[in-house]
Amino acid sequence: MKRILRRASLARGSTALATLFLLAGGISHASAEDVTTPVKGGTLIYATDREPTCLDPHVDGDMPQVFIAQQYTDSLVSQDKQGRIGPWLAKSWTISPDGKTYTFQLRDDVTFTNGEKFNAAALKANLDHIKNPATQSSTAGGYIQQYVSTDTPDEFTAVVHLSKPYAAFLEVLAQGFLGIQAPTALARDRNVNCESPIGSGPFKVVKWDRQSEIVLERNPDYNWAPPTADHQGPAYLDQVIWKFIPEPSVRYASLASGDVDVIESVPPESEAEAEQNPDLKLIVTDRPGNPTNGSLNITRAPFDDIRVREAFIRSADITSALDSVFFGRYRRAPGPLSGVTPFATADFQGLYDYDPDRANKLLDEAGWTERDSAGIRSKDGKKLTIHIPIGDFQGPADRSLWEQIQATAGQAGFDVQLETVGFSDWLDRDSRWDYDAIGAYWNTNTADVLRIVLSSEFIGAAGSGGYHQNASGFKDAEFDKTVAKALETQDEATRRELYHQAQKIVASNFLQVLTYPQSTRLGVYKTAHGVRLEPSLSVTTLYDAWVSK
Amino acid sequence: MSAGVLAFPSGDGLGRLGQRVAIRVLVGILVLLASATITFFALKLTPGDPVRAVLGGPTANPSPETIAATIREFGLDRPLIVQYGLYLERLVSGNLGVSFSQRQPVASVLAQQIGPTLQLTASAMLVAWALALVSVIGTTRRNRFLSAFGSGLEAVAASLPQFWLALVLLAVFAFGLKWFPPQSRDGFAGLVLPTLALAIPLAGFLAQVTRESLELALDQPFILSARTRGLSDLAVRLRHALRHAVLPGISLSAWAVGSLIGNAVLVEVIFSRQGLGRILYQAVTRQDIPLTIGVTLVVTIVYIVASTLADLLFVLVDPRIKAATR
Repeated sequence: MKRILRRASLARGSTALATLFLLAGGISHASAEDVTTPVKGGTLIYATDREPTCLDPHVDGDMPQVFIAQQYTDSLVSQDKQGRIGPWLAKSWTISPDGKTYTFQLRDDVTFTNGEKFNAAALKANLDHIKNPATQSSTAGGYIQQYVSTDTPDEFTAVVHLSKPYAAFLEVLAQGFLGIQAPTALARDRNVNCESPIGSGPFKVVKWDRQSEIVLERNPDYNWAPPTADHQGPAYLDQVIWKFIPEPSVRYASLASGDVDVIESVPPESEAEAEQNPDLKLIVTDRPGNPTNGSLNITRAPFDDIRVREAFIRSADITSALDSVFFGRYRRAPGPLSGVTPFATADFQGLYDYDPDRANKLLDEAGWTERDSAGIRSKDGKKLTIHIPIGDFQGPADRSLWEQIQATAGQAGFDVQLETVGFSDWLDRDSRWDYDAIGAYWNTNTADVLRIVLSSEFIGAAGSGGYHQNASGFKDAEFDKTVAKALETQDEATRRELYHQAQKIVASNFLQVLTYPQSTRLGVYKTAHGVRLEPSLSVTTLYDAWVSK
Repeated sequence: MSAGVLAFPSGDGLGRLGQRVAIRVLVGILVLLASATITFFALKLTPGDPVRAVLGGPTANPSPETIAATIREFGLDRPLIVQYGLYLERLVSGNLGVSFSQRQPVASVLAQQIGPTLQLTASAMLVAWALALVSVIGTTRRNRFLSAFGSGLEAVAASLPQFWLALVLLAVFAFGLKWFPPQSRDGFAGLVLPTLALAIPLAGFLAQVTRESLELALDQPFILSARTRGLSDLAVRLRHALRHAVLPGISLSAWAVGSLIGNAVLVEVIFSRQGLGRILYQAVTRQDIPLTIGVTLVVTIVYIVASTLADLLFVLVDPRIKAATR
């Protein structure tokens, strides 16, 4: 999924190093020291910036939750670096011709860490739990709104019924947000399950000391790793200490001194230094989904005029802005889908290129011809003002990025007002459509994200408090039809063609100022090996990890 | 003549003290009710929607059923005055409710997080007083250079922002010299830097106030008479002058406890410490009414206790007050 509510230091574009890794196939892999034989035992200390508010990834569903869930749950299916779906807890599956019934053959040798057996009833309990409104599931629940029911004709066969064809179903099932948990654990009070969830994964949650750390221990019976893993059988590590260190410089210093073995969200200002440090290694990978962007509100002036939208996008020198704010370590997003998303294309990146002459020409054509002494344009006495609420939670880097955009857009004659507001004010303005552009992104492993952030279905989908996932207010029948059709077929070539078409429509309607793709950025100390990212959402997995201390 | 700074009251005095404490407790309960009420309505008046905050903000994708169920669960579908009444009713029966954002009972959140905050606040208060007294006793009315040095140092210390000081201490003593861990671990070593970050500015402040009244006290006739009885300079300062001089600082300490807890927010984040400050910040931004009120009540109680203690200490240090209270 998503999340605006994160520190800016989390979300980054790419680096020369990352680019190399990406060219090599998406996931950067530990290299040299992996040649040595993994050692069994020991404790790995992992430090991250944000603490989850619930360890059950079904509830709410924010990024910190999926990172912890990846350690203690398994998913029904896996997804490799190329985006292909493979087996995991499901051995195989068939899909009915109408795309509404999925029949899964499940593994019969899987047990949860409380001794409970994984079977068709357990899968049913999980899907029902995600769908149940009382679970308060925004992410997992949002992704399977099409789910109706599960039949269990025999112990290891599950027949899942959907209300309409949903080709992205297998993809979202591969996300840790839909990780499979023990049915008796799910049957407990929601808040109890948040505290002490039970899965079948390589580790089990032992203790959660709030605002300090989570302790995980190896699951000694684990023998059902996904095909994306480097080994089979139990994890190497005895124990994982999952610490919360919110301050970036402290997190990095703790890594550099070897106090912790792995950190998440390496601060951009420290990346170059980390690369020079022989004790450290970086693992940087983009996340799939809709990249970080400023969504343009097309429901009101001036962005109801496509010429003004294109002018704004053309006037923003994103590459230079990213270079100056992120020390040259972040790459521009290639299009409305981040490069690691299945069916992403960079064919329309040219439409987002910086072109101040074209911006000026378009604004002249649109009638914004008068300019004041500061060069700000106006039309019929009305200034070309763009209101952008910047949440105080967005962090200094995101704000600096917008200041750079403000400066180059100003040269074309835009009066860009960056309005700093608190979280609740920001939510309020968002819900009232009281903005011309607003920060957004959405992490998910399927091109179906385009439907969520840009189809008319999501302009007021949830129907309460002004909820709208489609932050630009884009409403286009052809686009809606294209992304809906892409869900009706499992044929890869057809889906590719439809999503190519959808990305073209989005790009040529100039709906988002695209900045950088979201990314996972790990720093690894020399004592830790085999740390990798599970491809489905570029989320850390410590299953193959081991320590030499 | 008493032997030290403290003068213990007689039995009669204790009765009057008891009365003072009883009045304090009554007033305290009213203050608690008022602060719960103000916090409740202040959060209600803030724009935004706690349900959206809890369900993940604008880029979450909950179903309409999920939103409706959440609104019902939190009781947000009732009229405001009913919500307030229900909340107050639960509060009076000692039930602080369940935190929306932390997904656990408010009482458990408070129980887990209050220890580290009180530890930090108490150690910062002790260290601040120790530093202030050393500076004041050591440098006030010595030679001109020493006095100027002391008061200059105090002025600088008082003007340092705590979060900045925290970052500097980290850079020097944790990242550079590596004397202390950068993240606050359990135990003494982890407490040193956060304590200093809070204590140094407060020490400067307390010292400035104390220095001024120490100077006034040293001009009093009774000091001269003490000196003529042959008491040493240090003894005069400690036994006679200081007792007058610490009074303003003691009254300020109650206020300082509140301010320390407020400043603990940033220090707790910077040093990755557990504590109420960080929790309060999250609670307010997510419009988590039960948790915000819970933390507010605890901080209010700590403040009431601290100011009551300061009052008592005041009487103990300065017996003249006892006479004045009838």
